[in-house]
Amino acid sequence: MAIVHEFEYFRPEKIEDVIKLLGEYKSKARLLAGGTDLVVRIKDELEFPEAVINIKEVEELRKLEFIEGKLHIGALVTFTDLIDSDIVREQFPFFWESVKTIASVGVRNRATLAGNICSAVPSLDSGPALLTYEADIVVMGKEGERVISALDWFLGPRKNALKESELVCEIIFSLPERKHGGSYVKLGRYKGEDLAQVGLGILALEGNEYRLAFCAVGPIPKRAKKLEALLNGKPLTDSLIEEAKKLIPEEISPITDVRATKEYRLHVAKVMLERGIKAAVERIDGNGPAYGEKLI
Amino acid sequence: MEEFKFIGKSVKRLDEREKVTGAAKYVDDIEFGPNLLYAEIIESPHPHALIKSIDTSEAEKMEGVVKVVTGKDFPYKFGLYMKDRYIFAQDRVRFIGEQVAAVIARDPRTAQKAAKLVKVEYEPLQPVFDPIEALKEDAVVIHPDLKNYPHVPWFFPKGGTNITHRLKLRKGNAEKGFKDADFILEDTYRVPRYAHCCLETHIAVGLLDYSGRLTVWASTQSPYTQRNLFADALAPLGFSHKDIRVIAPFVGGGFGGKAGVTMEIVAAALATTVKGHPVKVMWRRDQEFYNTYMRQQVVTKIKVGVKKDGTITAFEMANYWDAGPYAEYGANVVNASGLSATGPYRIPNVSIDSYCIYTNLPAAGPYRGFGYSEMSFSVESHMTRIANAIGMDQAEFRRKNGIKEGDPVAYGAPMNPNGLLEAIDKVADEIEWGKKEESKDPNKAIGKGLSIFWKAPAMPPNVTTSAFIKFNEDGSLNILVSGMELGQGYLTVMAQVAAEILTVPIEKIRVELPDTDRNPYHWQTVASHVTWASGNAVKRAALEMRDKIFEVIHAAYHYDKDSLYLEDEKVKCKLHPSFELPLKDFVINGIQTEDGTYRGEAIVGSGAFMPEFTSAKQDPETSQGGHPNVHYTVGAGAVKIEVDKQTGKIRILKAVEAVDAGKAINPRNVEHQIIGGLLQGLATVLYEDMRFDENGKILNPNFTDYKIPTFLDIPDEVVPIIVEVPQPDGPFGARGIAEHTMIPAAPIIANAVEDAIGVRVKTMPITAEKIAMAIANNKKEVNDFLMIMKK
Amino acid sequence: MKKISFILNGEKRNAYVEPNDLLVDVLREKLGMHSIKYACGRGDCGACTILLNGKGVRSCIILAIEVDGQEILTLEGLSENKLTSLQESFIDHSSFQCGFCAPGMIMSATELLNKNPNPTEEEVKEGLSGNLCRCTGYTPIIEAVLDVEKKDVDKK
Ligand code: FES
Ligand code: FES
Repeated sequence: MAIVHEFEYFRPEKIEDVIKLLGEYKSKARLLAGGTDLVVRIKDELEFPEAVINIKEVEELRKLEFIEGKLHIGALVTFTDLIDSDIVREQFPFFWESVKTIASVGVRNRATLAGNICSAVPSLDSGPALLTYEADIVVMGKEGERVISALDWFLGPRKNALKESELVCEIIFSLPERKHGGSYVKLGRYKGEDLAQVGLGILALEGNEYRLAFCAVGPIPKRAKKLEALLNGKPLTDSLIEEAKKLIPEEISPITDVRATKEYRLHVAKVMLERGIKAAVERIDGNGPAYGEKLI
Repeated sequence: MEEFKFIGKSVKRLDEREKVTGAAKYVDDIEFGPNLLYAEIIESPHPHALIKSIDTSEAEKMEGVVKVVTGKDFPYKFGLYMKDRYIFAQDRVRFIGEQVAAVIARDPRTAQKAAKLVKVEYEPLQPVFDPIEALKEDAVVIHPDLKNYPHVPWFFPKGGTNITHRLKLRKGNAEKGFKDADFILEDTYRVPRYAHCCLETHIAVGLLDYSGRLTVWASTQSPYTQRNLFADALAPLGFSHKDIRVIAPFVGGGFGGKAGVTMEIVAAALATTVKGHPVKVMWRRDQEFYNTYMRQQVVTKIKVGVKKDGTITAFEMANYWDAGPYAEYGANVVNASGLSATGPYRIPNVSIDSYCIYTNLPAAGPYRGFGYSEMSFSVESHMTRIANAIGMDQAEFRRKNGIKEGDPVAYGAPMNPNGLLEAIDKVADEIEWGKKEESKDPNKAIGKGLSIFWKAPAMPPNVTTSAFIKFNEDGSLNILVSGMELGQGYLTVMAQVAAEILTVPIEKIRVELPDTDRNPYHWQTVASHVTWASGNAVKRAALEMRDKIFEVIHAAYHYDKDSLYLEDEKVKCKLHPSFELPLKDFVINGIQTEDGTYRGEAIVGSGAFMPEFTSAKQDPETSQGGHPNVHYTVGAGAVKIEVDKQTGKIRILKAVEAVDAGKAINPRNVEHQIIGGLLQGLATVLYEDMRFDENGKILNPNFTDYKIPTFLDIPDEVVPIIVEVPQPDGPFGARGIAEHTMIPAAPIIANAVEDAIGVRVKTMPITAEKIAMAIANNKKEVNDFLMIMKK
Repeated sequence: MKKISFILNGEKRNAYVEPNDLLVDVLREKLGMHSIKYACGRGDCGACTILLNGKGVRSCIILAIEVDGQEILTLEGLSENKLTSLQESFIDHSSFQCGFCAPGMIMSATELLNKNPNPTEEEVKEGLSGNLCRCTGYTPIIEAVLDVEKKDVDKK
């Protein structure tokens, strides 16, 4: 089916030019990186941009570097780039595990992490890792650069903290200073690619610190503050896990839709918590299931 | 045993090279030139409404719009077994997505834009979505004019209601049978709608040329049936069959969804309004879900009685099928599956009522399995429960009651030779039936499930098929048939049949895709009957050619025809061992005799086939007395699964399926049918999950939310098994197997789930969610049915 | 209309496109690359997969104008001369049935083998899992990919 809606197309090579175009078209502009979300939305007549700005020629957005404990992921870095990166797999294996659950090769070859977080959909698989690593999102606009913490990024379904005429330049993940392990557990309807019906990312740090974040069980991907408050400072025991599971209904607010019922999501979230947190803790010392192995 | 050179050999597919090079042309790959026009459909937003007015004036004004067509332009009904469908809605729409009008434009964008400008005013009517609701006395009547619709003689519609057909079958005395029973189990099962999900969506291009000939290129299983229905529906415009040509290039999947006629008639009709211009109608993926056929939903009430020793004494069943608003094809699913709903069991007392019921969900019709998959879910679940209840091994129960050659089937005719017992034994062996296994993971449980199946081709009793074969100068062959290569390997198998008779190697044979102007008649490629029927026709054509060849040799050399035979593309003679003549030397230009004259002719052959023992003349009150089915193909399936008791997720550790092919002309193709068909069936029971909102609008018409299996979702191991008990009237003993492979999938999973975790799920699909929630809530039975979502 | 240029199956080609033209339509309708199949239009099925700069992508969700200056390989390009070992392996295994998924599948498998000439069964499944096939049950495709003679898969 052809796209009926008409728009202008730009292909700037410099960030300044991108910002200028954004300033000109304001809310009527859409940035195009991978296009896997945007093109479908234009086709489905959910978006009617006047200008589509292809940023793929902006070379400086392409970097994927690990410098002084920080992973810099440029706005043009695709999921395939991340999955294929030794640094990501070795240094940020839990993030790598999350990214591997997203779509499939033909989409990952195009789709970017930056585009993904800009879409800010509730089922965002990269959300929990971003939130638990407390990544920073570097954005640039007319007024220059600012850094937004992932914790402040998600404002609502398909709403993020980006201002009109700003673009995401890079996403920075810092390696936690302590030893840590993590896990991303995702509920899908089958093994093939699916949108998360529940996603749970857990980062466990040595010294009994736990960071947990959910996606697909509320309007935005979110840290599980109540669970963290319960767990933090305590060694992981079966009874602690049981207590934590009881808190789940207070922590998340899933809905019933064609993908799953609210009841099932609540039920499986508990299973995911149990298996995910055990794996995360075991992985601190290099034990437990290998990263990438499905826990449910 | 007869020695074959080509039959029973896994020769490579004839069409594979075209398909792996991208050379294979599907309808949308054909260039139609700059005159091509594009149609966009205006669809009903209401499940049930009267059309008050249609205003096309704005759309017509738009530059690039050639024509806007509405129901007024085509006040004609059509349908395969019953004429209850319209090319475009007339005064009433009956489901969301029904075609009300079409814009024809120079380019697709203009068509899409103009379609938005067509204004239709509706008066909404009460819709009905549930087949049981639709039966109620005060239910809204979807077709007030039903009693006047023409239909085949074996349908019994009830005017003034939503019953478009009721099949009634009575054998023996069910009441008495239940009295004789020591144990009776009665329950209700429910199967929702499913979608075929051919990778290629429906597409048709129609062209009425300036001389008045109508050509339609269609992605179809049924070129001749389409021509017939086009000619019939458009007869008021002055078309006869010879004026219409249907060309069927490669088709990207059928599974019953491209049988008969659905949207193709729109392309045919639109073409008549824009002479000289081809018009393309191509369904988007969402339209593919709601405006072709879906598989019907069914509610099955079943009651079975057995003796202590496991002998089945009585079987009673009522099926309530939701056909959607048009049942021209779907009613025959109800009929055919009703006649065979007992499954392959020997049962003396049977009572079956199957109702085909109109609803305001999208139209439903044939899908691989033709109702047998749905029946199999309830019957095979039920039989397992009964065997368990009386403490009998399920496999043993099936061996004991399994139908044998000569046993009367439910409508009285005798069962054909079959390898049911062998299939049960082989499958049971392979799955290590009876051996209990435990998972190493305490959160998981292992279970095994078994079921048997049968299916007969569902066709009118006088279905016929034909074939032409011609030699080329180098002794190669072109076979012209009108069966369709749906992917099942039809072309290859026809070549093997001809090769066996004429000794021409496969590499020297082409089998041509259908074109009703050139290839001879074949009803349609449905019912898994083409290997059997078309194979017979090709065999007869090849035999005719062999006769002609011997005739020519006899005329030229005076050898006795009976002493001649073919070997390695040569004619040889038993009486003159030194004689051999390559076919290529004479099959076109004949043989020169001593006086310089020639004997011979271009050798061509024709063959046709129609079963002459079938009849649909049965007593409408009992369905006894006719012989509606040509034969049954039987088989058995089994599975070993591991269930995660916490998440409900199922992992298929091993799946086994045996099918009695009579004679597997191409064993690898048979195995590939088993592997593919079984997965398609497993998907219906595990995760394909069609949902509608309360207004009858489908909520997941896409692969994002209607999940068809991926590479990652296949069983850990699949073992296909071929059983061969020859079909006496089949070519080299062969019978069809393609649809059948899907049939056992649902009950083997249901039975394995119960075996693993003690939960009986009586509604499809058996999702992880249903399993997990049943365990969590300590339920032993699951009846939840989620197809229509309540707000 | 804007003029774009790109390398298509080794040859420099030009096309005039509107910003809202989809790559799949331009390649099929304007440049005759009919091997590319269109089956869902939203990136769900992989039927429209081509290689863009060596990577498998879905041409139904790419704007044609984006490929200006890039390099595209379609199944036509693979089939021009001798078939690849992968294609031959598919023929030997009678892998495909209706064949509609084949072009996209072959392009994805070509990328997979270029990247990883000796994949395990799991890697084949994972690498091709975005390409849907409704007919085959996948096993015959997996067998063919695992069975490729490792000679010329990186042709082009
Ligand atoms: S048609 Fe492009 S992914 Fe399905
Ligand atoms: S062979 Fe038909 S979709 Fe793959």
